[in-house]
Amino acid sequence: MAWVTWRQHRSQTVAEAGLLLALAAAAFGTRLPIQAAFHRDSLSACLPPAARSGCDIIVPHFEGEFAGWVTAARVLAVLPVLAGLFVGAPLLARELEQGTHRFAWTQGITRRRWLLSKTAFLAAATLLAGAIASAVVMWWRGPFDTLEGRIGPSSFDVEGLVVPAYALYALALGVLAGLVFRRTVAAMTSTLVAFAATRFLVLEFVRPHFLTPLHRVVAATDTAQAGDWVLSNTLVDGGGRQITAAREDLAVLHATQAGIDPHTYILTLGWKRLISYQPAGRFWTFQLFEAGLFVALSALIVVVMLWLVRRRPA
Amino acid sequence: MSPPPIAAQGLGKRFRREWGLRGLTLEIPSGAIVGLAGPNGAGKSTLLALATGLLAPTEGTISVLGRDPLRSAGVLAKVGYVAQGAPLYRSFSVAETIEFARRTNAGWEDEAATDLLTRIDSKTKVGSLSEGDRARLALALVLGKRPQLVLLDEPFASLDPLAGRELLQLLMDGVAETAATVVVASHVVADIERVCDHIVLLTAGGVRLEGNVEQLLDSHRLLTGPRRPLGSIRGVREIVRERHSGRQLTMLAVIDGPIVDPSWTVERVSLEELLLAYMAPERLPTARPPEKVPLRWHG
Amino acid sequence: MRDVIEFHLDPRSGVATYLQIVQQVKEALRLGTLDVGDQLPTVREVVADLAINPNTVAKAYRDLEREGLVVARQGRGTFVASTLAPASLRHHDELRAALERWLGSALAAGLDEESIRALISATLRESLARNVA
Repeated sequence: MAWVTWRQHRSQTVAEAGLLLALAAAAFGTRLPIQAAFHRDSLSACLPPAARSGCDIIVPHFEGEFAGWVTAARVLAVLPVLAGLFVGAPLLARELEQGTHRFAWTQGITRRRWLLSKTAFLAAATLLAGAIASAVVMWWRGPFDTLEGRIGPSSFDVEGLVVPAYALYALALGVLAGLVFRRTVAAMTSTLVAFAATRFLVLEFVRPHFLTPLHRVVAATDTAQAGDWVLSNTLVDGGGRQITAAREDLAVLHATQAGIDPHTYILTLGWKRLISYQPAGRFWTFQLFEAGLFVALSALIVVVMLWLVRRRPA
Repeated sequence: MSPPPIAAQGLGKRFRREWGLRGLTLEIPSGAIVGLAGPNGAGKSTLLALATGLLAPTEGTISVLGRDPLRSAGVLAKVGYVAQGAPLYRSFSVAETIEFARRTNAGWEDEAATDLLTRIDSKTKVGSLSEGDRARLALALVLGKRPQLVLLDEPFASLDPLAGRELLQLLMDGVAETAATVVVASHVVADIERVCDHIVLLTAGGVRLEGNVEQLLDSHRLLTGPRRPLGSIRGVREIVRERHSGRQLTMLAVIDGPIVDPSWTVERVSLEELLLAYMAPERLPTARPPEKVPLRWHG
Repeated sequence: MRDVIEFHLDPRSGVATYLQIVQQVKEALRLGTLDVGDQLPTVREVVADLAINPNTVAKAYRDLEREGLVVARQGRGTFVASTLAPASLRHHDELRAALERWLGSALAAGLDEESIRALISATLRESLARNVA
């Protein structure tokens, strides 16, 4: 089955390799100016928690200089789902659409073994591709991550262990969708929707609670601390009660009417900021949890798919 | 006693609302060349798909070479199947298609397959083969498995008569020495009349007629005579179909002895005529026009 | 010595395929085109040529073997064991000439091929029946 899988997916593999190469080339090409700027501005002295005076100016300047590229790099969050759309979904959908399953499934190999072998090989390739993409992005984002931390979603989602895990999940979803819907377009659409929904749900409701968030109370005028993933940032009064937006607006109004600087006024009211956050140091732990979750989901999908393929013959 | 190539018991398959097959009980004799006949939609393709595990029965059972085709991959290595239209991977070359079969079938014998493909360049893509060559390739993929059972679903459908005859020659040659059982589903009886020694006629999801061809032809006669009220006729066991036209009465009957009443003209029928009579009640083969020197046969 | 006989099949004749093969072998034996020791075409050769059921050929050869006309040698093929009524070969030339003369008369009388065949079949049948009765 190794030969069979290779022969049927070789153009996909070549395209994948090409994509990774392009990614690596782009990363190499653009990294040099970033590195140069980092050294030129001596940004290494601005790494948290150290805060040299002037850092609050040069760091944003540095980030702004390369903001375009950083935003473009966000698009890479889409890479994992491509595995589902272009490798996973057509796997079964195309066989069923074109009727070639009547050839493939009447040879001396069970349908389960055929599907499992193919999926295993493609899963290995997908994990490898995901790992390479993740490594390239992590390397490229190095300077930014040292300044901002990696645990925030914009870097967490494209680095580390989760990228191959997402890709594996998307692949599994795609194959299952192909089996259920039997049409490539329907399989691709449903894979995209299911993947996006899962990622959203995990990001919003699961990831923040992998470990109990920490809390910190800071002066109302303090800015958020770089490096941590801030989950919520609310104003609280002296008694610890949350201050509604209406109350905050009222206070600002009073201050303006009285001719006082609103920030100073809020300080005199005794109001503070309550920040709930996940510290930067938990990056790898969270990566492990989330990657593990998606791998477990993938395994579940594979089990369902193997059960289904025998029960719903063509 | 080796298990029958195909044995079905009360087999039924439902597709959403409709039953493609229902209550089908059948046993295919080993080593026979079986014609699976019947109009389109009768259930021939469904039966073959059930035999290869492509479909699961809704009720009843089917066993192939004594095993359940849904559960046993070993069985599929010994069953050669070509679906309608001979689906293959169009982007594969001929050589790659053979490689696919080689790697997914234990007991594959290259020579049995490549013998049929000497006229075809092995680097040609399947998608660019002619219909006749595609059919040859599909047959080669079957014969390379050294199958005990060969199932072909409408293999002649898109072939010109010459290509069809060649396919039949290759098929018969391929099974001559292995005594494999062959089942050919075709809605055109003439295509398979030449080679079948056993026939199964399906209509509307059930078996309408089944048996050894020679015995069936020996036991049926076409009787023609002046129209009259019918009592029981000596020699006739059962009337399959009858038709009145003007003053003439024609009927296809199962006979169990010689027809002695001289007012009947008695003729044998061909397999095609026999099947047509069982398939469509309104369509009875008309008596052949009398020859210049009339011959009277009696049974 | 393979191509000593080539079978042909008439699917419209109403005669079973295996019988046609038996008849053609017997005909060849009578005419002397098949001699003792000649090998009949293998089942595979017949089947690849005519596209007929191998069981049919096997049955024909078995029938011939039962009648003592051929013998099957394991792994080597089927060979002619004896000829048919060799004595009658002597009369063949005379009979053939007489037949050709009669055919000439029939054609001159305006009979077509079908009518001639029908007449011959009917007369043959009746005279055989008379001989037996």
